[in-house]
Amino acid sequence: MPKVTFINPDETRVELEVPVGTSLMRAATAHGLDGIVGDCGGGLTCATCHVLVQEEFLPNTPSMTPNEEQMLDFTAMGRQINSRLSCQLVMTEELDGLTVRIADPQL
Amino acid sequence: MEAPVLDIDPYATDVLKNPYPFHEELRETGPVALIKPHGVYAVGRHVEASEVLNDPVRFTASGGIGIQDIRKPGEFRVPNRLLENDPPSHTNIRGVLSRLLSPIVIRGWREQFESEAKKVVAQIVEMGEFDGVENLAEEYVLRVFPDALGVKLPRKNVLAIGEMRFNQSGPQNELYRIAMEKAQPYLEWFESSTQRENVTPGSISETLFVCEDKGEIEPGIASNMVRSFIGGGTDSTITGIGHTLNLLAQNPDQWAELKANPNKVKSAFEEALRMETPFQVTYRTTTGETELSGVRLEPDTKIGVFLGAANRDPRKWPNPDKFDVSRDTAGIHVGFGVGAHICIGQMIARLEAEAILRAVVEAVDRLEPAGAPRFRPINQMRQLDYLPLRAISG
Repeated sequence: MPKVTFINPDETRVELEVPVGTSLMRAATAHGLDGIVGDCGGGLTCATCHVLVQEEFLPNTPSMTPNEEQMLDFTAMGRQINSRLSCQLVMTEELDGLTVRIADPQL
Repeated sequence: MEAPVLDIDPYATDVLKNPYPFHEELRETGPVALIKPHGVYAVGRHVEASEVLNDPVRFTASGGIGIQDIRKPGEFRVPNRLLENDPPSHTNIRGVLSRLLSPIVIRGWREQFESEAKKVVAQIVEMGEFDGVENLAEEYVLRVFPDALGVKLPRKNVLAIGEMRFNQSGPQNELYRIAMEKAQPYLEWFESSTQRENVTPGSISETLFVCEDKGEIEPGIASNMVRSFIGGGTDSTITGIGHTLNLLAQNPDQWAELKANPNKVKSAFEEALRMETPFQVTYRTTTGETELSGVRLEPDTKIGVFLGAANRDPRKWPNPDKFDVSRDTAGIHVGFGVGAHICIGQMIARLEAEAILRAVVEAVDRLEPAGAPRFRPINQMRQLDYLPLRAISG
């Protein structure tokens, strides 16, 4: 199963196995990673599952919908060049080894 | 395969008062059924509910989200420009509204919402026995939501209008006629309260008119959108909070779970929306002849997506009739809809629910039923009418 490394705001790292087809937001909340809030459950209305994608992986990530584009402007941390909403990062084999930093704050 | 026929009226009063046997029949009849009394299709399983709502090319919203085709002679009414519209034309207006109701805006309301919640809860603690609908859910939502939006909503007026609108999206039955009649005295108020001169300066509602001036949204639709916000943010939030209180009072083990972990108020609200979905059904219209899960569908025909049925589909949910505040439901239940038209104000509803439920859990030791709850039959909704509760503290 492909793996993803989350870097928490306190710099600790958590590696999770994420089944293909599962979003990083669901994987993180299911494993109790508090830094990912994900209040709306992937509906693109809360902007609280913000992550910063390690840049070498950016080309492998799915393209952004206009809705995600807009919601990134409403994140609490503010948008960075490598910002994504983790509810939209659905696991694929190509993303194996992906590392993301959890944005802080989310709320 | 042709759609199997189901000869049940989903809008009969006894079905509205207890929709669950109908939901089960709908799900078990097939992936889609033809509802004989109305000549419309209906889906009640989670997979097909998502498929219909995610595909505006096969299933358009432009025929209206109620059972009537608003484009047909005799049924014609002005479409709601947000809901009864498809991408790409829908995308622009949705984008403007998403900005006005952005998470940053909503987060800014938290302190005010929490402080009002404490005041309302202090009142019900003082009362001891109270109506969870009128004294708690209505009292709270009608305190915070109109101010946040920038409109004035006297309780009697807004409830009569809500009852009209959510019966209007059903067939022209007795409920529809009575609700229309009851709302007559308030129609003029409703029209004028959503005009520019009557909304609060500097509020979101006024900003909509400013967007109209700037040409970001088409002329004439700002007040249509204010009416949408009122319709979408009043009755459904009130009853969603009511359902949560009812389910907590009826399930002391789940209440104990919240007392031990107050952060679970958020998932308790989501789970209540799954169990007792406020907006029971929304419609699309087939654009051409199509197939859904192997069933052939006629063109230009309404298809009802029974959200409340999908939210208890055993294919999706283990033990679907059990209220479990630890269940992971946000974004999986379809209580806020799915796809392009997913509820735009869902984070407002969540903030209100979280604030009031947390205040209840913090101030009340035990929440008990003080009688049987009563449901109010409404064509489109699963709505509580009266919820006698007892709050015990100290």
